[in-house]
Amino acid sequence: MSIVIKQREPSRLPSKADAEFDRISNLPGHVIDQILSRLPIRDAVRSSVLSRKWRYKWATIPCLVFDNHCFNFSSQDQSFIKNKLVNIIDHVLLLHNGPIHKFKLSHRDLLGVTDIDRWILCISRSSIKEVVLEIWKGQRYKPPSCLFNCQNLIHLELFNCLLKPPLMFKGFKNLKSLDLQHITITQDVFEKLISSCPSLERLTLMNFTGVTHLIIDAPNLQFFDIGGIFEDVSFLNTVHLSLVSIGLYVNIDNEENGAQDNASKLLRFFVNLPHIRRLEIQSYFLKYLAMGYVPSRLPNLCVDLNHLSIRIDFDDLEENTAALCLLRSCPNLQELEMLARPEEQSSMERSTNFWEDDHWSSLFAHLRLVKVSGISGVKSEMDFIKFLLSNSPVLEQLTVKPASQEGEWELMKELLRFRRASIYAEVIYLDP
Amino acid sequence: MSEVDMAVIKPEMMKSYIWLQTADGSIQQVEQEVAMFCPMICHEVIQKGMGSSKNYAISLPQRVNPAMLSLILDYCRFHQVPGRSNKERKSFDEKFIRMDTKRLCELTSAADSLQLKPLVDLTSRALARIIEGKSPEEIREIFHLPDDLTEEEKLEPLKNTTDDPRIRLLNRLYAKKRKELKERQKLKNIEVEEERVDDRSVDDLLSFINGDNGDSKGIKNSKSKKKNRRRKDQQKNTSANEAIKNHNKEPNGLNQVCHSAEVGQKVRAGVGATSNLHDVEDDIFDNKNELDDGDIDDEIDPALKEKIDREVEDFARRLNSDWPERMQEILSFGHERKPVHFSLNGNGSLRRYANSEQR
Repeated sequence: MSIVIKQREPSRLPSKADAEFDRISNLPGHVIDQILSRLPIRDAVRSSVLSRKWRYKWATIPCLVFDNHCFNFSSQDQSFIKNKLVNIIDHVLLLHNGPIHKFKLSHRDLLGVTDIDRWILCISRSSIKEVVLEIWKGQRYKPPSCLFNCQNLIHLELFNCLLKPPLMFKGFKNLKSLDLQHITITQDVFEKLISSCPSLERLTLMNFTGVTHLIIDAPNLQFFDIGGIFEDVSFLNTVHLSLVSIGLYVNIDNEENGAQDNASKLLRFFVNLPHIRRLEIQSYFLKYLAMGYVPSRLPNLCVDLNHLSIRIDFDDLEENTAALCLLRSCPNLQELEMLARPEEQSSMERSTNFWEDDHWSSLFAHLRLVKVSGISGVKSEMDFIKFLLSNSPVLEQLTVKPASQEGEWELMKELLRFRRASIYAEVIYLDP
Repeated sequence: MSEVDMAVIKPEMMKSYIWLQTADGSIQQVEQEVAMFCPMICHEVIQKGMGSSKNYAISLPQRVNPAMLSLILDYCRFHQVPGRSNKERKSFDEKFIRMDTKRLCELTSAADSLQLKPLVDLTSRALARIIEGKSPEEIREIFHLPDDLTEEEKLEPLKNTTDDPRIRLLNRLYAKKRKELKERQKLKNIEVEEERVDDRSVDDLLSFINGDNGDSKGIKNSKSKKKNRRRKDQQKNTSANEAIKNHNKEPNGLNQVCHSAEVGQKVRAGVGATSNLHDVEDDIFDNKNELDDGDIDDEIDPALKEKIDREVEDFARRLNSDWPERMQEILSFGHERKPVHFSLNGNGSLRRYANSEQR
């Protein structure tokens, strides 16, 4: 039997020293939960040694975050760290008491698949609302099917995972925000996932494998941010979409595709984005939009669009045409950002006089802020800036940032000469 | 024009006020738009029609005393104005939250009872910032928490609510480990007196192992699971035994030498030695018992077990390597009164420095 356990220190009754009233321990449970949730998990659990009342207060915190900040191990031994980490997470989950609303696992060290499976099973039993899983090392992690049973999920964030829901998966009814980065997912699964989450408002998709045609059928979608390699993007039923940021990370060859498909990508893209407010066209996406027929102006103007950011090669005729079409189609544009794409081959021969021509029947009536970056002072770029300055009567600020210090002086000298339609315009030159 | 401007232009009696009563009985009137910022007050006004006159003042919850009410109203007065930018609000919040911890707790409580969620969020964040990164002692000091947990309970914060005997055993293992670590600390910075504790502990180990083998066997027999423990004990015994083996002949001689070696400290040696002897013996005895108990459950933490095993072997090794040198020194120094200092060198083994060598 336990003979020798004597108390090393006698317990102290509240003495005169504790005459000052303890005002924190008797705060309502949900308030204590809030306070403890804002601490790193380590500090939160350590609160159990403060006093008798605090022993199990941590066990009801709704938010469990296990990342690199919660443990500080001085050991370099990988397996030691891993064992300790697994031990700690097991202990916390085992002794936790109450619903878990948020679970985040983002530790840089390699974790065992069975361990992570076990933890996900545990949290899937407790009406979890937010799951963030960042698998930093190892191959794509495949979450177990219990994750797809979490019908209370509102936010799901996965990094370096392979998504393969079970066949009976009917979607997440309450999911509002989905963030998938470095994932593998098949075309069907992706389409089904998006269309079966009717409440989806935010979608982020970066570096994905397995999906080539992005078909977005999400009636409540407001925020859409993707970057990766794909062939096609089309929006069905996305009237509320107001922020779109798309990056196509592969250079498509216009000649190859132009022959078969004359349908205008530009028209198709905008047909279901009536209320778009912010649009970012990154990497090579403008090239994609320039494929097929490009009208001089979109049939339905984007009246709500007030921020436009375009990555463009100023020497490419198709891209310039597409950009001009866009600029003409957003009469209420307030902020414009043009980023020059650094091309590998120098395109002296292809330099156009595109922006020299007078394209305008209407002016940039609301344009206030413009930023032009990554330029090197070639004619097409300077033409564009000149064009911009002379057509923006309410311009407040034009910021110019070159790609390198080469030709800086020439660039600045030219900049100085340009006429400005707006008397308030500041032209700010930033160092490269 | 902002609402504030309108209020100035309008005659005073056109402005509507809400009457509030705090738990101490005092009644005050507050501008309607300010008071209605609190959901609880809003509810009382709209659902129950209270607050329109002095007789029908809204009784505020007990947790809201006049001082706190005044603070809360300041907060509401600022934030209910619609035109403010996020930056302004944030800046106000930062300044607003600067108060002593006591008031912060009271404010949290009061804001919660009025269901003013943004203020509760703000104060919770502030309290979390205060708690973060501090040691338990500091936190207790700041919030005046009683230190009413036993040391053992502190060692095992993840104690199981059902009081699982396995977890209790784990507690003991942790307690034992803590003591071992303390002892190692002592070994690292050794002065003369503690040097003698070393000697004693060696002696004690010796006598304890030789003498106690019978006892521990007795204890072993009383437990159900014997196998694992016996194996483990034997392992530990052997390593300790190895350390002591070479010096079995010496203990008594050494004691005497120690006594004579330090002139002027004989008396203390005699007295101190005895008390040290008992303490250390107790410690080791307890260690041994707890070791027995702890061994019952090997599955609890094999990594921890290994670590403790390693530590014991390390300790034994250090003693082993040190004995010949120390013996020589003590025998040769005779009457010299040089204090002998020990410190750890790079690879963790103890080395002696006589005074002159010390940096």
